[in-house]
Amino acid sequence: MSDLPPKSSIRRWFLTTNHKDIGILYLVTALFFLVFGGLLAMLFRVELLTPAADFLGESGYNQAVSTHGLLMVFWFISPFAFGFANYIVPLQIGADDLAFPRLNALSYWLYLFSGILFGISFFQGVTFPGGWTMYAPLNTPAYMPGEALGATSVVLAMIMFVAAVTLGSVNFLTTMYRMRAEGLRMRDIPMFSLSINLTVWMMLFAFAALLAALIILSSDHIIGTNYFTYQIDGDTFATNVNNPGSSMLWAHLFWFFGHPEVYIVFFPALGVMAECFQTFTGRRLVGRKWFIISMVLVALQSFIVWMHHMFLTGINLEIKTLFMATTIGISLPFDLMVFSLIYTMIKGRVRYMTPFLFSLGALLLFILGGITGVFLGAVVLDYQFRGTYWVVAHFHYVMVAGATALFGGLYYWYPKMTGKMYNEFLGKVHFAVYFIGFNLLYFPMFIAWETPRRVFNYPVELTVWHNLSTVGAIILGGSFLIMFYNLFVSYFRGAEVGDQPWEFATSAEWAVASPPPLENFDGVPSYASGTLEFLSPSDVAKRQSGHSGAAADGGTAETSPATDGAGAEAGALATTETALATGAGTAEPTGHEHASHASFWPFMISLGGFLLFLGLSGIRTGSMLYTSLALVGGILGFGSLVGMAQEPFFAPETAIAERWPFADVEKMKLGMWTFLASDIVLFGAFIGSYAFIRFAYGWEAWHHDLIPEAHVTFPGLVNTYLLLTSSFAVVLAMVAAEKESRAGVMASLGATFALGVGFLINKGIEWQHLFHIHTEAFPEGWAITTNLASSTFYLTTGLHAAHVIIGLIIAGYMFFRSWNGAYLGDEKPIEYFGLYWHLVDIVWLFLFPLFYIL
Amino acid sequence: MTHTKLYTIIYVVLFAFATIQAAVEGFGLVDESYWFAFWLIIVLSVVKAVMVAAYYQHLRWEPRSVSYLAGGGVLVALALTAAAAYSIV
Repeated sequence: MSDLPPKSSIRRWFLTTNHKDIGILYLVTALFFLVFGGLLAMLFRVELLTPAADFLGESGYNQAVSTHGLLMVFWFISPFAFGFANYIVPLQIGADDLAFPRLNALSYWLYLFSGILFGISFFQGVTFPGGWTMYAPLNTPAYMPGEALGATSVVLAMIMFVAAVTLGSVNFLTTMYRMRAEGLRMRDIPMFSLSINLTVWMMLFAFAALLAALIILSSDHIIGTNYFTYQIDGDTFATNVNNPGSSMLWAHLFWFFGHPEVYIVFFPALGVMAECFQTFTGRRLVGRKWFIISMVLVALQSFIVWMHHMFLTGINLEIKTLFMATTIGISLPFDLMVFSLIYTMIKGRVRYMTPFLFSLGALLLFILGGITGVFLGAVVLDYQFRGTYWVVAHFHYVMVAGATALFGGLYYWYPKMTGKMYNEFLGKVHFAVYFIGFNLLYFPMFIAWETPRRVFNYPVELTVWHNLSTVGAIILGGSFLIMFYNLFVSYFRGAEVGDQPWEFATSAEWAVASPPPLENFDGVPSYASGTLEFLSPSDVAKRQSGHSGAAADGGTAETSPATDGAGAEAGALATTETALATGAGTAEPTGHEHASHASFWPFMISLGGFLLFLGLSGIRTGSMLYTSLALVGGILGFGSLVGMAQEPFFAPETAIAERWPFADVEKMKLGMWTFLASDIVLFGAFIGSYAFIRFAYGWEAWHHDLIPEAHVTFPGLVNTYLLLTSSFAVVLAMVAAEKESRAGVMASLGATFALGVGFLINKGIEWQHLFHIHTEAFPEGWAITTNLASSTFYLTTGLHAAHVIIGLIIAGYMFFRSWNGAYLGDEKPIEYFGLYWHLVDIVWLFLFPLFYIL
Repeated sequence: MTHTKLYTIIYVVLFAFATIQAAVEGFGLVDESYWFAFWLIIVLSVVKAVMVAAYYQHLRWEPRSVSYLAGGGVLVALALTAAAAYSIV
């Protein structure tokens, strides 16, 4: 751990793990991608001045539209919201930082490098041209122009982005359930933080399904599996013949993620709107409790509406009807939220400052976007509107309405982040120009709704509406020049502000200096008395002793070593000297230790990941350059992970905190379980994909048609025995650590490692055998690309094997540490590792029967 | 949480269940009565998974909220699989 340099030093921004710095980095980077995606939109709006591809060309238009959508949805809007989340949520809930600061930095750098990888795809011939929904089989190399390396890079960039999102989700959930100020119940946290809480819940599960889809798609791209295309004879490709579920599989996986994604984008905006409505009306949100219940309902319902995006596919009428009902149903909680905001205005006294104007504008735009969306939820209307500009207009009125509120958030928290006030007049001018530009851009699309979506051609009589849209796009884009000028100049010349520039703002971020100090609060925040107060160390000590050795949450006051770090292993890799524990009861750091705020490893890991993925994008060409990049990236990434694991890093939990409903689950364990919940969805989606494809093909015919006789049960049974025994060995290692038996810990961890290696060797032998069988049905062996069954078998069990390898790396590292006497009387790190290892075991318990017996 | 004896019993049961699953196939039940064998084997897998989660991952001794967290992931995966498969019936 190195010291954190001042903000004026460029080194600081590579080293920092502090949540406020990371928040600023997210905001600046997201705004860069706004400009990137916005310029692409300008290009195709110019193209659409006439109904012919006479400016960008056909492929250029497809690329511009597709990458605009992907950049705006993934690299701009959510990261922009998470810039605020990073900066504001810990302040609002009374935490010093996020639970795992280095993971937070890692999330950011993975996000940035994923965007760079996306940018590089433009220089690999042709970037991704197939629409932001990435429909397969359209987006497999067989159906793409050229080598499709740029498209592969985009798919890999998406995987990197999802990795960043997953780490972020784990981090935010752990923070919000372990580090809330004393007395701050979940229902009482400020609306913005509450919206982020629900957002990350949705992200945790929805992005795992997307990750499964992306891994499968990248596998089709890179190693030639047949999930989405089925090669019949070497030259001819056919879909919906031998692979009847191919296109629907992608649609299910994507939209299972895609619809929650709408709320993942919109909820933070809703949180900003709620904050601004309260602050600028001077009135508590009317029906706050029902507003929250509505948000929770939407978050749950968001997972049962996805098939309304598939009404024009071959799904059956019964399921269409069911999903029409759930879709219409999800609009009801939104109605309540809209009325709550309107009634808050009526009950309060509105102050028309810039943040409020953007929030109000967002509400108006969202009402129109929401109503037009209900049309698309009705099966019959959807038949008419699907694939037209009605959809384009509707979702821009929803998504960009969200962005509108977030721009309001930028003005709202700008004084807090910079200590300077922006120019109010220019803020209002920005809003006026923005609002006019927005409506001029998107409203004509409702009128010209018969324009086919994603196509540069349209009926000539609609030209006037498209030209109006293009003018609107120029005005909307131009409005940001005002914003950038205002914020830039105000940073140097703006009036100084105190802690609280807004008269009626009440959440905790306004109780500290602007900008806040590095560790946020002078004292430990507490709401136990009913209002926010800051406790001195002696007050905290009294509270702790008052609990008779128990922590505020009722846990025991035992301590255990843990630290922030690279996932589960970090707990295992921590040293007791450097990482005082968190645990069910949390102890204050007793010595002179201060929280760490700097680490270079997150940047290095992400750089390694970037090089690895860039190499993978072209590795199928056999190019030495791409192969070398993958190799160097892999080594750099792995070495940096080891470096981070060995780095002393101290990330304390708050001494006393509100931790319902995870009061007795220490920080590392909760982080681990949260990650595992996401991993369950990832594997679930993989197994679900296998089941779906097999079901579509014909469940019982599958085994007879596609699987060789040589694929027998025995190797799977042996591997089941090996994994079960290795799981047993991990629990024995934990018991030995409790009994402080060094020999027992070493023997058990050694056995775990050896059994895991045995599992991989057995699998390797089995695969080699299947690759090289020569039968009448499979004269060329049963390889990855042979058929659907072989693709699903090798990819699903391969993903599982990758998990085994990761587990073995951790087990090997722990064995090495146990050699030096680690873990004696401190079994927690082994327990955390065990949680992961047992999940790997559980997954195999389903893969074994599905792929070997049935 | 030292339960060595309990851990050992569970290991033996898990080992035995895996063997039974293979035996179901080995004795030809999969060929004779596929769907009976299918559900028998899947139920055994579910029981094994629950035992590993409850005892080796200690969910039995953790606050119920942790089980809900893991169960949420399972529910999401099952909803996706079941609804997707039903949609093409």
